[in-house]
Amino acid sequence: MSDALSFEGVTFTYPDGARPALDAVDLAIDEGSFALAVGPTGSGKSTLLRAANGLVPQFTGGTFAGRVCVDGRDTLAHAPRRLADVVAFVPQDPGASFVLDRVEDELAYGMENLGVDPAHMRRRVEETLDLLDLADLRDRSVRTLSGGERQRVAIGAALAAGPRILVLDEPTSQLDPQGAEDVMAALQRLVHDHGLTVLLAEHRLERVAGWVDVAIGFDRGRVRSGTPADVIGHLAAGPPVTRLGRMLGWDPPPLTVRAARAAAASATPARLRSVAPAGNGDARGSVVAEVHGLHASYGETTVLRGLDLDVHEGEVLVVMGRNGAGKSTLLRVLAGIHEPAAGHVRVLGTRPRPGVDVALCPQEADELLFNDSVEHEVRATLAARGEAGGAGPWLAALGIAGLAAHHPRDLSAGQRLLVATAAVAATEAPLLALDEPTRGLDPGSKDRLVGFVRAHAIAGRAAIVATHDVELAAAVATRVMILAGGEVIADGDPGSVLGDSRVFAPQMTRVFGPGWLTPEQVAEALT
Amino acid sequence: MIDRRSVHPMAWIAWATSAGFVAFLTTDPVYLLLLWAVSWFVYASHRVDADHARSFRLFLTGAAVAVALRTALVFFGTVNAANTTFSFLEGLRLGTILVIFGTFNAVTDPFGLVRMAPRHFHEPALAAALALSIAPRTVAGVGRVRDAQRMRGIRIRGARALPALAVPVLERGMEEAHTLAESMDSRGHGAGRRSRYRPQPWTGRALLIAVTAVGAAATFLAASVGGWAVLHPQSSPIVWPEADPLLLAAVGLLATPGLVGRREA
Repeated sequence: MSDALSFEGVTFTYPDGARPALDAVDLAIDEGSFALAVGPTGSGKSTLLRAANGLVPQFTGGTFAGRVCVDGRDTLAHAPRRLADVVAFVPQDPGASFVLDRVEDELAYGMENLGVDPAHMRRRVEETLDLLDLADLRDRSVRTLSGGERQRVAIGAALAAGPRILVLDEPTSQLDPQGAEDVMAALQRLVHDHGLTVLLAEHRLERVAGWVDVAIGFDRGRVRSGTPADVIGHLAAGPPVTRLGRMLGWDPPPLTVRAARAAAASATPARLRSVAPAGNGDARGSVVAEVHGLHASYGETTVLRGLDLDVHEGEVLVVMGRNGAGKSTLLRVLAGIHEPAAGHVRVLGTRPRPGVDVALCPQEADELLFNDSVEHEVRATLAARGEAGGAGPWLAALGIAGLAAHHPRDLSAGQRLLVATAAVAATEAPLLALDEPTRGLDPGSKDRLVGFVRAHAIAGRAAIVATHDVELAAAVATRVMILAGGEVIADGDPGSVLGDSRVFAPQMTRVFGPGWLTPEQVAEALT
Repeated sequence: MIDRRSVHPMAWIAWATSAGFVAFLTTDPVYLLLLWAVSWFVYASHRVDADHARSFRLFLTGAAVAVALRTALVFFGTVNAANTTFSFLEGLRLGTILVIFGTFNAVTDPFGLVRMAPRHFHEPALAAALALSIAPRTVAGVGRVRDAQRMRGIRIRGARALPALAVPVLERGMEEAHTLAESMDSRGHGAGRRSRYRPQPWTGRALLIAVTAVGAAATFLAASVGGWAVLHPQSSPIVWPEADPLLLAAVGLLATPGLVGRREA
């Protein structure tokens, strides 16, 4: 087997970088591998991915030493466009990567640039539409797509160009669980049947660990590659089954639900069957928000149909459902920035007052950062309500106190999301709404976010979280609601709602049955 | 939805150029106001989607401001009825051209234009299309940022609040531009080879729109050169503007797109 992609002694420092983003990296990825880059935020994963087609250093500047070869071509000697026939790159923010407007045209764009002949192009576009289930979106404008749809179109556009190497930066971050599974299955089929080489970075390891055959661990610019068991099995921040295996001393720690079931069967956690799982608590105080007969629409599209909902003090309500089910719209209505078509919406007995009774951290959380430091960002919120206090407690609660003096622009996507969350939470609004709050968050940051949201609820306030991340739901929810087609199809405690679902069940439920949500909870019951 | 069966972009270029040319040739308020009406009619029957509709409203506001500003210029000279009328009509002409451009922007997909540009014009066409897409994207971005800041209790009012709105919009714009440039290069843009995916067919309807539009422009050109109709009403002394039936009909021809419907059968 030959190397599809090789890094030889690559050290790279960004123009203003204090330390190298990549530090003496030696790495070879064989043709036909399915490789996963794992590691905390800011450890160099995105940089390595962007170096694979020469965007680093050709678009970034900085100091670069060593050699990156793609299919035998040196990336310093070839501009990214001269490598487009071999390697395709899907960036973290797929929306900003679209060049044309119509989905079908966008899929063909790369092939047009490569001079693929029209008949062949037409066939390849149709195949891609089927492969990623995009046929219904063919005539849509890319600007009107939901986050998950955009991600699938971006992957399709990269694939349609027929590259031999596909590089993807967090390709499932905006997908619902089923959508993520479909994308991973499609990629695996291309790897197995057509010899495509795939390199992807992902924080939600539970979605990808079982699919890949090579893992590359990142730690402050240094890399170590090996089998997934070798690399992921040793991570403190692995997927839930791996974390459980480490806590219980299973060797090797399992990477997949299947392996965990086998290990659990032989390690006989028989006691588990006699213990009722402890939930995330169901302390319910008085009503914070109430919604009756809510209908909402965008233009001519009806998004929510007759929704009823009460949110109580002490509750963390997690709203789930596939892309486009109406989760974000519900949050926007509750936050008072989307006018409902019909129905009754009250927060603390009045119409929602944004920034006072309710505060929403939107999906595009970047869009509320405008100050020159993280500290000032939180202070701007405090100043708007006439408070002179410091940002310290908010930053500490989210584990970003160390970033206080940084410019938000210099942070990673995940870190910026935490800053935005702190800036919104600083309103001290009794109802905190978070839309997809774990995009780009590494597992460590995610744990801190979970702690923060639970503390908010325990203090007698309430939180509502829209997410595709089932493990987040398992860890943070006191109540889970599932939306489909703008209607509520399930609502109840997380143990029963998530336990009853094939799509939304977290890993612990899949291994030990309904009611078991987090590895910590299982480990506690066993010791 | 962007329909493949919608009007060929070249027909829209012919329409907008001709309508703009007509506005350029006259300061007669009858023709100019009729052009506003025709533009509205065409916009209403062909607008692409909500984002474009929003940017059309932006052009309408711009046109109104242009009329007001141009009229206000009179205060720099002698203020009398004749001068005011003259300034107002000049402003109205400028506003008309803006409204026509706004209509063009609202009914065409600028990227459709790129796709049909001849190979050698592909680069400038793409640059122009990306520039045109900035207006609707910025309008959408301003709305989102305003909502996001309200969540922090920050109201975008007055100059002091401007950074809270402008910084995220501009920063995101820069970031998107950078990602887009990277994406285009990564996807082989400018690598030298090019083929074209499913070119949009030139249809009878597109031909009709183009021919009627050019006809309208030719009629006004003939009137301007031949002098058989008044295109610039006298402002001193002020007289009631004239309306030549043939020229009225010519402006009416520009409404053709609104009459032929959105898409091919």
